Amino acid sequence: MHSTPFDHLPLKNPGNPELASVARFLLWIIRGQKRVLSTGTFFGVANLLSLAILPGVLGHGIQAIADDDQDSLKKWVLVTLLVGGTQAFTGIMRHRRAISNWMSCATRLQQLISDKAISLGAELPRLVSTGEVSAINSNDVERVSGAFDLIPRLIGAFVSFFFVAILLINSSPTLGVMVVIGVPLMSLLIAPIIKPLQSRESIQREKLSRSSNLASDTVAGLRILRGIGGEASFLARFRIASQEVRVAAVRTAKMRSLLEGMQIILPGALIVGVIWTGGSLVVQGDLKVGELLAFYGYSSFLMVPLQIMTESAQRITSAVVAARRVIRLLSVENLHSWGVSEAPNILGELKDTISGISIAAGEFVGIVCDDALTADDICDRLGGYLDAEKVLIANAPLQSFTRDSIRSAIFSQEKEPAILSGTINSHFDVPATKRLSIDEALMAASAMDILDSLDGDGYSAEVVERGRTLSGGQRQRLSLARSLYVDAPILILDDPTSAVDAHTEARIAARLREVRNHQTTIIFTTSPLILDHTDRIILLVNGYVKNTGRHQDLLTTDGTYRDLVVRGE
Amino acid sequence: MKFFKHKYPKPVDEKRLPASAYPAPPEDAARIEKGFGLERAANRLPIATERTVNKEMWSLLLANKNGFILVAIFQLFTTIAALIPPRAFGNLLERLKTDPQNVVLSRTIIIVFTALVIQTLLVYLTKVRASILGEFVLSSLRERFIERAVQLPPNVVERAGSGELLTRTTTDIDKVTWAVRDAVPIITICLVQILGISVAIAFTAPIFFAAIFIGVPFLFAGTRWYLRRSPQAYRVESSSYAIVNSVLIETAESGRTIDALRLGEERSLRTHATISRWLQWERYTLRLRTRWFPLVETNYIIPVSSVLLMGSYLYHDNRISIALITSGLLYAQMLANPIERMLWWIDELQTGKASLSRLLGIYEIEEREIRKASPDGEEISGKNVTYGYREGRDVLKNLSFLVSPGTKLAIVGPSGAGKSTLGRLLAGVQPPNRGKITVGGAEIGYLPVEQARTEVALVTQEHHVFVGTLKENVTLARPNATDDEVWRALAAVDATEWAKNLPEELATVLGTGGHRLLPAQAQQLALARLVLADPHTLILDEATSLLDQKAAKHLEASLGAVLSGRTVIAIAHRLQSAHDADLIAVIEDGEITEWGSHDNLLKANGAYAKLWRSWRDEN
Repeated sequence: MHSTPFDHLPLKNPGNPELASVARFLLWIIRGQKRVLSTGTFFGVANLLSLAILPGVLGHGIQAIADDDQDSLKKWVLVTLLVGGTQAFTGIMRHRRAISNWMSCATRLQQLISDKAISLGAELPRLVSTGEVSAINSNDVERVSGAFDLIPRLIGAFVSFFFVAILLINSSPTLGVMVVIGVPLMSLLIAPIIKPLQSRESIQREKLSRSSNLASDTVAGLRILRGIGGEASFLARFRIASQEVRVAAVRTAKMRSLLEGMQIILPGALIVGVIWTGGSLVVQGDLKVGELLAFYGYSSFLMVPLQIMTESAQRITSAVVAARRVIRLLSVENLHSWGVSEAPNILGELKDTISGISIAAGEFVGIVCDDALTADDICDRLGGYLDAEKVLIANAPLQSFTRDSIRSAIFSQEKEPAILSGTINSHFDVPATKRLSIDEALMAASAMDILDSLDGDGYSAEVVERGRTLSGGQRQRLSLARSLYVDAPILILDDPTSAVDAHTEARIAARLREVRNHQTTIIFTTSPLILDHTDRIILLVNGYVKNTGRHQDLLTTDGTYRDLVVRGE
Repeated sequence: MKFFKHKYPKPVDEKRLPASAYPAPPEDAARIEKGFGLERAANRLPIATERTVNKEMWSLLLANKNGFILVAIFQLFTTIAALIPPRAFGNLLERLKTDPQNVVLSRTIIIVFTALVIQTLLVYLTKVRASILGEFVLSSLRERFIERAVQLPPNVVERAGSGELLTRTTTDIDKVTWAVRDAVPIITICLVQILGISVAIAFTAPIFFAAIFIGVPFLFAGTRWYLRRSPQAYRVESSSYAIVNSVLIETAESGRTIDALRLGEERSLRTHATISRWLQWERYTLRLRTRWFPLVETNYIIPVSSVLLMGSYLYHDNRISIALITSGLLYAQMLANPIERMLWWIDELQTGKASLSRLLGIYEIEEREIRKASPDGEEISGKNVTYGYREGRDVLKNLSFLVSPGTKLAIVGPSGAGKSTLGRLLAGVQPPNRGKITVGGAEIGYLPVEQARTEVALVTQEHHVFVGTLKENVTLARPNATDDEVWRALAAVDATEWAKNLPEELATVLGTGGHRLLPAQAQQLALARLVLADPHTLILDEATSLLDQKAAKHLEASLGAVLSGRTVIAIAHRLQSAHDADLIAVIEDGEITEWGSHDNLLKANGAYAKLWRSWRDEN
């Protein structure tokens, strides 16, 4: 049993889901795993049926003892063992398939969500929050998958219920009808508790998530608390939230205890009824003792399929809600549509029709902007992340080319680029021209010291989540090194030295031009150290070009420029 | 068949796995060693040993022993009540068999029904009691954990990554919650049931005792086999699942970077690899269950068949009655359920225990050493201060300095030179490895945290807006500040305008899920906190770096009023702060290379002077 029914997972390609409606989406998932669903159903039915017939078999056994019929007894003991064996076998087979069903669905959805996040790329934060993506990827995927693990059991529950019902009615119509009507009736009586129970549960969940949000928020801001205080008031707030959880949980537990009590008294009452009626039938000679025992067993067994059905109803409802959220995420479309032709090899002039910026091929330009937010937008726009139809390259809108070819032609580095977890080496494992070595790129960004601060030779040291182990300046220089290493024909940098000290900034400024080797370079900055090294500076006011010229000239001729750039007056 | 075996499962692309990924499980159901996958834990937060966890569980139990005993007694009576109907039913069958004409059905009915009502009431009471107890234990566990977590030395948390502590505060607390809420009561209930039924069998049908318990040794051996493997396996399995999600979060958060670097394909492969690793563990645990489950399920059929066989043999010899066989049979069936349930939940309890060991792990981190002292004056001095995050790699080397009260000191130097580290030591976040930093003669790194903060406060470039109202966010250090004081603090940092424009002004809820502030606003908020904290010394580590040039100038002007009369140590790369400072310290490679006023340093014509000229553009 070394192999499992989900050895083929994860799939190489999760496929194209149908997102038109929840039903079609779920059907699409079913089609993708119909084999394991159908074998799962087979074992699910077989497992519950073998459970269902056991009371009858035991009844026959007792009857054989009562009749003092040794041969018949041996036969029934053998059957008991056989049924028990079947039950164990089908039980584990069903479980294996249930897990496989769960896995098939979950991994496929996770792959789809991951691919969706990748294809949304830079636009993702504008369309959906990362918190939501993460919640959908864990909670909702689990709920949808849960429904698939349930389907075989649910079908088994229906089949075994009807099987036992027929068996009972055949052997004693009176008792049979009593049990077949009585059992669902009992579960209907439980129904009124379900709703208030669920609402209490949801209050409890809400309180719990509030308290755990509070806790994680406190932990996330631990460093700030350390610097300035406030632990006591945070602890007090957490204690209140935690006590609210406790109260809500006890309230839920009371309701659930009531439910469990009902689950004892109601079937119990039915069994009392069966004993009463069955007892008189035996007295009249219409029923055998063994059959009465069997009825006793059947009425308790029928609670099993009924419980499965009630549970399924709840879980399928929540699966549908979850599926809707998954569908909503998967149907988010990119804001931009892209063309099909490749960007030209020789790039020519880059032009932003909104602001009036125009940059010739090979220029080394500084852009000074009176407002940091506008600078971010224009940096996005020139890189083809925003209004890609308004920016022209060699007189054709960026949008008319493929996304991939624009990304390889223009590299626009945002203000705080992400540092992906991995080693320093893997940080540079990106599509690049390889004109520069990793060391040359690090040197140009004045980032060699980062290697020294890390374990071992530095290159194979791990940089953890968001580069948190590095200082802000180190993160910024590491990102700059990566951007230089990529060596794109057009490089745009948004304030690449904002967190770097003046010493280092001066060193970086001195090396940048040489490293770029006559390729178009655009730097948004207000640092005179860098601006002094540029061919030309474009001054933007209110998002439009106001002036252009060399650093020294603008300093003397343009008051706005001087105010923005010169410090320490 | 062979062909398929080689086709699947496909090997995992190890290269694409994140560093946090666990190694692959064994190919079969072989045992994995204790502490598997913890080797790389060197930098993680500690995990409590099995012994500590067991000790803690016992002490929890003892601390609440009255509650536990009450629940156990309730449960015992519940079990006794549950034992009556099978016995009464067996007697009825017996009489129906031997003397059907004189059976008084109503007597059985009354007995069974009364037992049922009592059982129901007891079940209700037991469950309610158990949950009150469980929730109490849980809430105190939860609260104690957070209490300890906020006191952890920050360097320990940073080394482990705050994500690690975050997982413990969320996922692990949830798992323990779940174990306490479900597993512990159910296991207790099952144990009492097993005990009760066993006693009942011993008294009413002792003859079947051996037949009913015939399977127990096998069950015991099998379960032992399983429990030796499962706890670690489930721990790794769930961590591997968590990694799948964290890779996705990284993909989503780094969308712009991944897009720009054209790493989409690579990220997709990474997701594929992490899912594959997780599935390997799912397969491993499924292999374990494939061996164990059937054993548990057959545990039920063997006693039942044995009772039947033995019963027929004894009945044949007229040594027992049908009543006894029936109740023996029903008891055997009754017993199967709690045994199966208990084993199942012991398995589930392992996950809870694994999480508990992670929660308790943080108690193993050494507490900050406290040395009581009362500072005399506000003078700050450093003597031979040496500090390194790792052995043999000192970030600060033998620094000595003296800052008299009211001085404005600017610290400049290349990044990575140790400026921020010095800032943290000055604020007493942690003491230096060697040498000492004193405030008014008292070593700040050993003062109680609350006391240290009344002396020195630190604001860094890192900003975090807490979930809570604007007022709560500003009054961290002084929870009892009035609205007026809060407004004054906001005015001092130039934040009045946007604060007035918030939907509910001071009562606006900020942070995750609330109103979002711009990074620059968050930074102003951080400074407003400082204004209210009112310590005599402020350490500003790049505290205005997120503001643009214009705003920063303006803010510095309005802060001026607040800062006057205090000692201010500003770590900055904007040389303007340096120019305005009384004193400037240039730190290079962990050492103070220049120290003096702006004018003196310019005259000295060293590193600072060179920098200043290039910065001022005086070519």
